[in-house]
Amino acid sequence: MADASIEFKGSSFTLSVLHLKTSMLVDIRTDLADKVAQAPDFFYLVPIVVSIEQLEGSIDYQAIKTLIESFNFTFVGFTGTVSKEQRTLIRELGFSFVNTAKVNTVEKNTISAEAAETKIVTETPARNLFSDKIHRGQIRSGQQVYAKDQNLVVIGSVSAGAEVIADGNIHVYGSLRGRAIAGATGHHRAQIYCQNLEAELVSINGNYWLSESMEQYWGSPAYIHLTDSELTSSKLI
Amino acid sequence: MARIIVVTSGKGGVGKTTSSAAIGLGLALKGQKVVLIDFDIGLRNLDLIMGCERRVVYDFVNVINGEATLNQALIKDKRVSSLSILPASQTRDKDALNKENVGKVLEELGKIYDYIVCDSPAGIEAGAMMALYYADEAIVTTNPEVSSVRDSDRILGMLASRSRRAELGLEPIKEHLLLTRYSPKRVDDGEMLSVEDVVDILSIPLLGVIPESQAVLKASNAGEPVILDTESDAGKAYQDVVDRLMGETVDFRFLHAKKKGILSRMFGG
Repeated sequence: MADASIEFKGSSFTLSVLHLKTSMLVDIRTDLADKVAQAPDFFYLVPIVVSIEQLEGSIDYQAIKTLIESFNFTFVGFTGTVSKEQRTLIRELGFSFVNTAKVNTVEKNTISAEAAETKIVTETPARNLFSDKIHRGQIRSGQQVYAKDQNLVVIGSVSAGAEVIADGNIHVYGSLRGRAIAGATGHHRAQIYCQNLEAELVSINGNYWLSESMEQYWGSPAYIHLTDSELTSSKLI
Repeated sequence: MARIIVVTSGKGGVGKTTSSAAIGLGLALKGQKVVLIDFDIGLRNLDLIMGCERRVVYDFVNVINGEATLNQALIKDKRVSSLSILPASQTRDKDALNKENVGKVLEELGKIYDYIVCDSPAGIEAGAMMALYYADEAIVTTNPEVSSVRDSDRILGMLASRSRRAELGLEPIKEHLLLTRYSPKRVDDGEMLSVEDVVDILSIPLLGVIPESQAVLKASNAGEPVILDTESDAGKAYQDVVDRLMGETVDFRFLHAKKKGILSRMFGG
């Protein structure tokens, strides 16, 4: 075997997972086009795993694969916590089913011989991959700005009665007097930075504070983050 | 091109109509051709403040509906010939206006007048949106108390998103802050927000500070805009506002309680 021209070895990779929330191809196409248009170079030939965990009813796997590839992604396979029957069906249709690392350890013995050699670790894109949505000017009472899958940078103040939301971090280069919700879709590492903390409410990954909890750095530059699921404020400068 | 200025606030009772009347008359006294439009359909007030309520025959809604011409509806001010008033209807409601026809009326007026001052109704509904839609400039009238400031903040958001200029992506509406019913003594006593507080929260340039004054109520009841009362602090403060609107640099007055006599450091008074 020493002279073998090939060798199998296990390796871990970080892959992007596309979580589908609907099996309506039209909707997926529209949203995907939007996303790709924001950073076409970033997504070009990026290997991608498609999570079908949130889908219900019958799924047209081939159509999803074709759709993904039409946006110049490199389709790797499907993933998600699904029934054994569904997994078998996916394999029978000729697609690879990729288990996340966590599932792997639990169900190691169910993985077929070919797959066992290449353990693929999947996770959501790391936080620092978020791009920035930049808002210039004050955000007024009654206005809401949402940075979906992005960090939000506000060059100006956030008025009382206004709301800023980001899936990533929130930076306010001005006074934060309204509500700020960071890590909105579940990122415990998200943080909120502002030059003057007078917020009505701050929230990170679902943990929130009303203004009475912010007394320590009230009226001064501060940032809010999570330490062991507890909100913490720290002096910024 | 006429400058279309909306006098707005969000909150009611802060002095929009008083300010519209004073500023409109003040501009006319400076030789400008001015028309004041009352957008508060159903709660017609501007004609009372201007003292021409008994001369209203046709109104803004009649013009919009083609039931009267502009010339029939416009009321010439008896004090200053270069000032006209287009009164609101008292019997209709705010849905009587529509964007297209309001635009046509403003275009017609723009050919004749230098300034079109639109007195907005309170609130953030259709009537207020109509008054600000075509504006080039906005005078955001605010009392130094938190609810008024927050409502002004809301209106500033509307100016930046719901106006014609915003929709067409043109240069944004020029915003001016007009602080009315200001009482330096109550600020010193900590009962009222200071000029600095309000400017800090709203972050727009200060056009004027009108001190709380008995002269305002007296002027309203008499149908004589307070700017004509040249002895009163409020009258003088409105005169300063008019001068600033016309591009002059005027120091701010009446910012501090009289007995202290401290000059404003912030505004170089």
